[in-house]
Amino acid sequence: MAGSLLASKPTPAVTPSPVPRRGRLRRALSDRRTRFGLLNAAPVVVYLLILFIYPIFSTLLLSLKGEEGGWTLHWYADAFRGANLEILLTTLRISTETSLLSLVIGFLLAAAVSRLKPLWAGLVMLVVIVPHFISALVRTYGWIILLGEHGVINNALTDLHVPGAPFQLLYNELGVVIGTTSVMLPYTVLLLYAVMRGTDRRLLAAAAGMGAGRLTIFRRIYLPLVAPGLVNAGILCFILCLGYYLTPALMGGPKQTMVASLIDEQVMRQNQWNGASALGIILLLLTFAGLLLLRLVKSLGDAARKRGAAS
Amino acid sequence: MIELRSTLAGRICLTVLSTLILLFLALPIVLIVVTSFGSDAFGSFPPDSWTLSWYENLFADGSKWPAALSLSALVAAMTTVFSLALGMTAATALVRSELPLRSAVYGLVLAPLVIPQVVVALGLFLLFEPAAMLGSPIAIALGHTVLASPIAVMILMATLKGIDERLEDAAASMGASRLTVARRITFPLAAPGMIAAAVFSFITSFDEFFISQFLSSVDTVTLPVQVFNVLQFDVDPSVTAVSAILIAVAVVALALVGVVRKLSGTGKQDGLLPTEPAVGLPAGSETR
Repeated sequence: MAGSLLASKPTPAVTPSPVPRRGRLRRALSDRRTRFGLLNAAPVVVYLLILFIYPIFSTLLLSLKGEEGGWTLHWYADAFRGANLEILLTTLRISTETSLLSLVIGFLLAAAVSRLKPLWAGLVMLVVIVPHFISALVRTYGWIILLGEHGVINNALTDLHVPGAPFQLLYNELGVVIGTTSVMLPYTVLLLYAVMRGTDRRLLAAAAGMGAGRLTIFRRIYLPLVAPGLVNAGILCFILCLGYYLTPALMGGPKQTMVASLIDEQVMRQNQWNGASALGIILLLLTFAGLLLLRLVKSLGDAARKRGAAS
Repeated sequence: MIELRSTLAGRICLTVLSTLILLFLALPIVLIVVTSFGSDAFGSFPPDSWTLSWYENLFADGSKWPAALSLSALVAAMTTVFSLALGMTAATALVRSELPLRSAVYGLVLAPLVIPQVVVALGLFLLFEPAAMLGSPIAIALGHTVLASPIAVMILMATLKGIDERLEDAAASMGASRLTVARRITFPLAAPGMIAAAVFSFITSFDEFFISQFLSSVDTVTLPVQVFNVLQFDVDPSVTAVSAILIAVAVVALALVGVVRKLSGTGKQDGLLPTEPAVGLPAGSETR
């Protein structure tokens, strides 16, 4: 998936091309199934070129334009200075924390579900998937009522006379990480569950039969088997966190401002489109870097597997 | 079947942990639904007494909620139509034909799922602002379609892959025209998938926030944007009722998909919902 996403936009079939290619093209066009395919692919390709690729392209242009015309990298320099740089680093920090937490929690749940009987596994996955289709805004609001100073959790803790209650659970990093993790969790659970369902559990039994301890089995057999899934889920989660806006904006304090909030602020309040575009392009490049990493890891894994099969 | 036996302690530990994790996912949602019927706006759980007044307040005179609700429904309906049309043609091209540059087209179609939404929203803002289309429901729906169509394409691709092409060939060999084959064979077999694609497109648009936020104007505000605007200043009991309505819409929609799948007998082996494509993860072999 990652590889194909990185591919540049498809060139339309009518672009002038060298002669031998044109010959191939004409042959391809004479095939009925190919013509049928091009005809059917055209609407979505044209749509996305106009409403997806072109807008991103104009964002890129705007981020390179100076205030009095001409080209400049001034907006990018701004993005990596002072308060903006801090927001960029905050985004990376919160994304890392959230993806690690989602990975650990998702791993536990997926491991538990992969041992259940199909009926129970289906029910548990329903509890994972239904929240995913409920607006993230609504779930964030649920956390706000839950974690507020007079929220359900703090009230319960105060009633139990827990020392130090009520705790500050909202408008700080803890609140943001809790809220964002609950939004990201369905992705990691689904990705890890798919991998775990595919692992051959007889390998574990075989290792035990040969005298390996539980910790050894987990470390030497199970973890390597599910490692590709863990890397996949972790990177995907990180990418999705980078541009995430709702939960950090509602549950964070001033120290948890993320890049998406900064972009929103620059467009809506300051009319600072060029700066916002530069920030958007930086987010985009970070996403591409993540996707590239995903692809690299995948090809490394494939190569290792091929070596293993050959030896 | 040889299995590695798990210890009792390990089993109990894992069960307790997974129950806590499931609570972590479900609790905020359950809390909103319960609180929306409680007379004390928040805090006490379960509420001391019950009321419907928060819901009545939503539709009182001068309330901004009905307009936001109808705008969201209108935008979501338009998005569903656009995304279903694009999804059906795209899925046909990707599954049922020899397509040059197939992987590039597939990548382009899926790209909106991983590109940060704020970048998409910003780009669309730059596109529609000069055209003076900010606040137009059509502009918002066109924007939502960028996010909804990949999901529709994935669901419909899975649907088309599940249809036995020999049925169509058989009909064609017995003299049915291409239109007849599409109308009498392909369409009825693809209908459950199309309903699922429509439902997920609708929910995607109905809950979308960022694009709506960038493309809305002062007097055209979708439901999620309105919720966000209220939440930025205060925690308001009417928001609880609206949130409960949003939850109900999502649950009813998912139930609808589940019932259709059950009735049509499709996808028995992979659970109640077409999970991977609907969540936005490419299904099956193409994940790895």
